[in-house]
Amino acid sequence: MGRITLDQVTKSFGAVEVIPPLNLTIDEGEFVVFVGPSGCGKSTLLRLIAGLEDVSSGEIRIDREVATHLPPAKRGLAMVFQSYALYPHMSVRKNIAFPLKMAGMDKAEQDKRVDYAAGVLNLTDYLDRRPGQLSGGQRQRVAIGRAIVREPAAFLFDEPLSNLDAALRVGMRLEISELHERLKTTMIYVTHDQVEAMTMADKIVVLHAGVIEQVGSPLELYHTPRNKFVAGFIGSPKMNILEGPVAAQHNASAIGVRPEHLASSAESGTWEGRVGVSEHLGSDTFFHVHDTGLAETITVRASGEMPLRHGDRIFLTPDPDKIHRFDAEGLRMP
Amino acid sequence: MSRAVTPQRKAFNTALAWLIGLLIFFPILWTVLTSFKTEAQAIADPPIWFNFNWTLENYFTVQERSNYFRHFWNSVVISVGSTVIGVAIAVPAAWAMAFVPGKQTKNLLMWMLSTKMLPPVGVLVPIYLIFRSVGLLDTKLGLVIVLTLINLPIIVWMLYTYFREIPVDILEAARMDGASLRNEVIYVLLPMAVPGIASTLLLNIILAWNEAFWTLNLTAAKAAPLTAFIASYSSPEGLFYAKLSAASTMAIAPILIMGWFSQKQLVRGLTFGAVK
Amino acid sequence: MATQHSRTAARLMISPSVLLLLCWMIVPLAMTVYFSTLRYNLLMPGSNPFVGWENYQYFLTDPAFLTALVNTLLLVGGVLIITVIGGILLGMLLDQPMWGQGIVRILVIAPFFVMPTVSALVWKNMFMNPVNGLFAYLAEFLGLQPFDFLSQAPLLSIIGIVSWQWLPFATLILLTAMQSLDQEQLEAAEMDGAGAFSRFIYIVLPHLSRAVTVVILIQTIFLLSVFAEILVTTNGGPGNASTNLTYLVYAESLLRFDVGTGSAGGVVAIVLANIVAIFLMRMIGKNLDA
Repeated sequence: MGRITLDQVTKSFGAVEVIPPLNLTIDEGEFVVFVGPSGCGKSTLLRLIAGLEDVSSGEIRIDREVATHLPPAKRGLAMVFQSYALYPHMSVRKNIAFPLKMAGMDKAEQDKRVDYAAGVLNLTDYLDRRPGQLSGGQRQRVAIGRAIVREPAAFLFDEPLSNLDAALRVGMRLEISELHERLKTTMIYVTHDQVEAMTMADKIVVLHAGVIEQVGSPLELYHTPRNKFVAGFIGSPKMNILEGPVAAQHNASAIGVRPEHLASSAESGTWEGRVGVSEHLGSDTFFHVHDTGLAETITVRASGEMPLRHGDRIFLTPDPDKIHRFDAEGLRMP
Repeated sequence: MSRAVTPQRKAFNTALAWLIGLLIFFPILWTVLTSFKTEAQAIADPPIWFNFNWTLENYFTVQERSNYFRHFWNSVVISVGSTVIGVAIAVPAAWAMAFVPGKQTKNLLMWMLSTKMLPPVGVLVPIYLIFRSVGLLDTKLGLVIVLTLINLPIIVWMLYTYFREIPVDILEAARMDGASLRNEVIYVLLPMAVPGIASTLLLNIILAWNEAFWTLNLTAAKAAPLTAFIASYSSPEGLFYAKLSAASTMAIAPILIMGWFSQKQLVRGLTFGAVK
Repeated sequence: MATQHSRTAARLMISPSVLLLLCWMIVPLAMTVYFSTLRYNLLMPGSNPFVGWENYQYFLTDPAFLTALVNTLLLVGGVLIITVIGGILLGMLLDQPMWGQGIVRILVIAPFFVMPTVSALVWKNMFMNPVNGLFAYLAEFLGLQPFDFLSQAPLLSIIGIVSWQWLPFATLILLTAMQSLDQEQLEAAEMDGAGAFSRFIYIVLPHLSRAVTVVILIQTIFLLSVFAEILVTTNGGPGNASTNLTYLVYAESLLRFDVGTGSAGGVVAIVLANIVAIFLMRMIGKNLDA
């Protein structure tokens, strides 16, 4: 249960093609994250899988069965919405039981499953409340509870954490990961936040303008980005992309060096520049270095104790094994 | 936040607003007062304000002479009937336009509104003749049909604006949860739209209750609602002020009270959500 | 944004409303147009011969038509001016801090819920009657001659009655719009050196434009077909002094039973209403998009 295949799937709104032909296989039990900047088509892709939108052409299979024209209710998938989409007029218990009621399950079995889900999600004390009386994190858990009681073939998450504050987001991230460990059900998770993608995914699908730029594990994407877009999108702070003579020295049209792969020094190094803004995180400090003659700004990660200030001279040395080379089309060179 | 104003300024505002408010309300107040006077006191010179012998006699007379309650019942049947049928027809249409908008939705809504621009007098003759030939003249059913049709565009618009405020996510969640279209509407949309539907009902009952073109032209003695009944006081009974007042008070009281309760929704409803 | 399935369902669910309204528009309209080309009087049964434009010629050259047209415009325009200006002033007053604001609101809104026949009769008999009306007493008290409103200034009196019915509506909507004005905008304007008058002209009025548009649109729909107020007060008279188009067509068709001429008048009324409607729809189309 839970293998999803997209075969030459496209989607157009009128004359605008938002997803050109796309192929993707999601294996059973995988935690797959669709990530990309806003407007890249990741939510549309999720809605195609859910059945909330029609595909313009191509085929969607869920467990080898063709689901392309099945209505959402018949696909056996559960979805957690960005806005949670709880039913405001129903208690938490009724919210969670709603899909079971729609499936015509008998009352006793409904209660059993709701109680189990509430136990798993720490919602037992809130079952008689209305969604309006819950905090953001609790609402999120109700939405998840509503999804898990059905024992779906796969869970679909549409930016589920973007309405939570930063602290809660980290906690929920862990909870969802734990849930996946526990249930071993396929999960498809859409986000624009590459940190969420890196921390949660078994497999990341990077989307850009409706096109899959790369599919791979978080570390594959980090270590061997297939092109400049993925290189810039994965990793924080962003990879420094340098063009011109310095790239030519490496026989490439552009080279990329991550901030954490640059050694910094006050005395000597390969490249010389001047410190602009520095961001102190305590453990680390990020320096934004100007006047290197290579790029407008180069970001570098240094240790938190590095005593440089605005306007000081700084020397940078890239780790030669960690330099990414790109050709004129922006593709990775071996 | 508005700043504190001086007590003098506030007192001045209060006095002026109350004065104007009472002036605007005065005809209604005067009608209610007069309905409790005797005919002689009603036309006394100078006018008597409160110092008269309060009597309910006029109310009894109106009921006895002209069977007031039959007309009252006609009004109830016609306004409630046309509104409920209108809402039943409009809910599916409003659902479709609010949640499955297409390229034509806006044009369709505008077209519906434009049917309201059709002056009723332009179709008076054919409706009158059709009704005469099929026996709908002076029947409650005939008026229910006409009022349903003339208020349908407003009902669709009002429901549409209320439905649009329901996040489409929630309906999609129901769809993902395995709800059929019917269940989606019954279990999710309608319970969430209760306040909107209630104010749509209320406002359209008020509009239908006070409708005075078709009710006057398509009814005679039998099916006449209160609007037409009161018009019969035009002359010469209208000169019996106390009875005219009693009949008028009874005709407007129920709807005035409903109206006061609905004044908040009135603005939203009648401006199709354009003013909140 | 939806699936084929839901679009099909949507079309199915819209169709009853659309079909009903389409029938309601087209069938009587076609009949009106057809009757307008016949010599057709209910008092003279028999064949109804086709007469082409004769009814139109008769209706349009009747001096009563021009009077009714002017009266219609005066009635609609007069009531709109009174209620919009009155509504803005009254709305501004009610927007001020005061005691008992809720009760004043209730007093002001009340006339809107009074059915047209009641308000017309109450005004006609208990206020405007030249012998026993309150205005007559008032005139007497001030030592003036009583004024017979409905025979000496019939149209103006009707404009007054209709304005009384619609002023509450305009006030309530404009007041609601004023209350939604962001106070910080006014404070920012004050910091920028705008006086009370400039704030009203540059901040308050533009904010109200949408609400004013809506008031004009909705009132025009109803004011074009004012009927009951005329029927129970003046019967369109004296002469044709207070006859509007609606009343004129009614008189032709249901008082003189001249279906042909009445229908021609109905078509004329529809054409004129459409001219107004096109103008109005363009205006709201622009204003409601924002």
